[in-house]
Amino acid sequence: MKIKSNIFAMGSCLLLSSISNIATAEVNLNGFASIVAGVTTASDEQLYGYDDNIDFKNDSLFALQASSDLENGLGVTAQIISRGNNDWDPKFEWAYVSYDANDNLRFLAGRQRAPFYMYSDFLDVSYAYPWITPPNGVYNLLFDSFDGLGMLYTSTLGEFDATTHVIYGKNNTEITLLGETIKPDFKDLTGLSISLNRDWLTLRGAYFQADMTMPFEFLQPLKDGWAQAGFADISNDVVAEGDKATFVELGLQIDYNNYLLNAEYTKLKLDHTAFGDQKSYYVMLGKRINEFLVHITYGKDDDSKSDFTQSVPFGVAPSLDFLKATTQQIIASQKADEKYIIAGVRWDFHDSAALKFEYTSFNNKLIDNDANLFRVALVTVF
Amino acid sequence: MFIKPSILMVIIACTGTVFSSTTQAEVAVIVNSANAAAISDSDLSRLFLGKLKQFSSGNKAIPVNQKFGSNVRKEFEQKVLKKSSRQVKAYWSKRLFSGKGKPPKELSSDQDIISQVASDKNAIGYVDASKVDDSVKILRKF
Repeated sequence: MKIKSNIFAMGSCLLLSSISNIATAEVNLNGFASIVAGVTTASDEQLYGYDDNIDFKNDSLFALQASSDLENGLGVTAQIISRGNNDWDPKFEWAYVSYDANDNLRFLAGRQRAPFYMYSDFLDVSYAYPWITPPNGVYNLLFDSFDGLGMLYTSTLGEFDATTHVIYGKNNTEITLLGETIKPDFKDLTGLSISLNRDWLTLRGAYFQADMTMPFEFLQPLKDGWAQAGFADISNDVVAEGDKATFVELGLQIDYNNYLLNAEYTKLKLDHTAFGDQKSYYVMLGKRINEFLVHITYGKDDDSKSDFTQSVPFGVAPSLDFLKATTQQIIASQKADEKYIIAGVRWDFHDSAALKFEYTSFNNKLIDNDANLFRVALVTVF
Repeated sequence: MFIKPSILMVIIACTGTVFSSTTQAEVAVIVNSANAAAISDSDLSRLFLGKLKQFSSGNKAIPVNQKFGSNVRKEFEQKVLKKSSRQVKAYWSKRLFSGKGKPPKELSSDQDIISQVASDKNAIGYVDASKVDDSVKILRKF
């Protein structure tokens, strides 16, 4: 499980004898990996990046975490993940310095995980939860980590252990979306999550907001067109430039007598942009039977955007009609009405590894499209 | 919903056949003789899950664990933590990879744990009750 290396040698090479007590810090190396194979059940079906050709890269990943406790409450942690869907390029997912002010209060500075969801903290550690990956419908924000500051406070509330996690920071990692590679800017990302745990019950709630800019080129002509036509409000509403995004999450976990119930609800609002507001939830039931966990999940996504061109009637001028029609097309494309069922088995065949089988049946009601995905995963921690 | 019933039957049949039998031994939770702190069952569990870091006296608590897979550890995890060994392992992988904490240090035998607890005022451990000697104080037996 643990490889320890003494970096004293490195310290003495640097001839920093005066701080050699710091350089003797022990580095703990841990890791986790998922090897996932997946295939859809028919040639016209595509889901979560899979099609009817068997794929081994999409959800596969390999990660190493290095951490070291320095003296006086100070620690450093780095997590590097190589993802198959990123051609196995290793990337720093986390790189932060932590400071434990006391047993209950920790400060974090650097690149760290944003606690958006119930499973955020160990999002990529498939070994730590029932599914191969948490349900895509809920777990689909554009980023999971951020650069900035965090504060973790643990306390007791009656019979409950409470964890409060407050963050402030930003994310501007390049993404490819809607056929464009852009460098978005989520700044003033601020929010908190509160988690209450007692024996078999965990309750969680979170709220975050950010100032969002997503410079898509394909929206630029529309923005300019509306501005030239004298509709400054609509021009602003087409693009995401310094608009406020808000996110709410509620979570529930019950693990009682080998029966499991997990549920999570999220609501994302992107006001004054052409991007859809999203409401999503899932409910999972599971039963642990010795080394096996059998589970079934039902989930639903409901995305919508109200028509912000409503105040402009058709038939005033051809150029306006064109602007309105094009904008309405984009608004319509943001709508979604999706349901899915995931049925799976996790088999803990080994002390540090598990095998997971999962079948996902997905239905998009708006375009009356079904897709069925079968995945097998070998997941491990080391 | 869309799984074929026959597959479910196979899964249930497979899972039903594996039963484990472990020999029941009494587990003694031990602390240093100088440690006068009282501790409830639930705080004991919280201590070994890294949620509680102090004794009721306010002194720092350092839990020491038996080796993964040992019978006495399985017993302790089942009776005190109310979890299977694998659930505990999954629990610590969550804590570890979220940077929230490291599992208690593991020592390889009852004797090692007794000597550790005997020499460290802050230590708390658990051993096979038949192995305890009077160099340590028994807090409770399960």
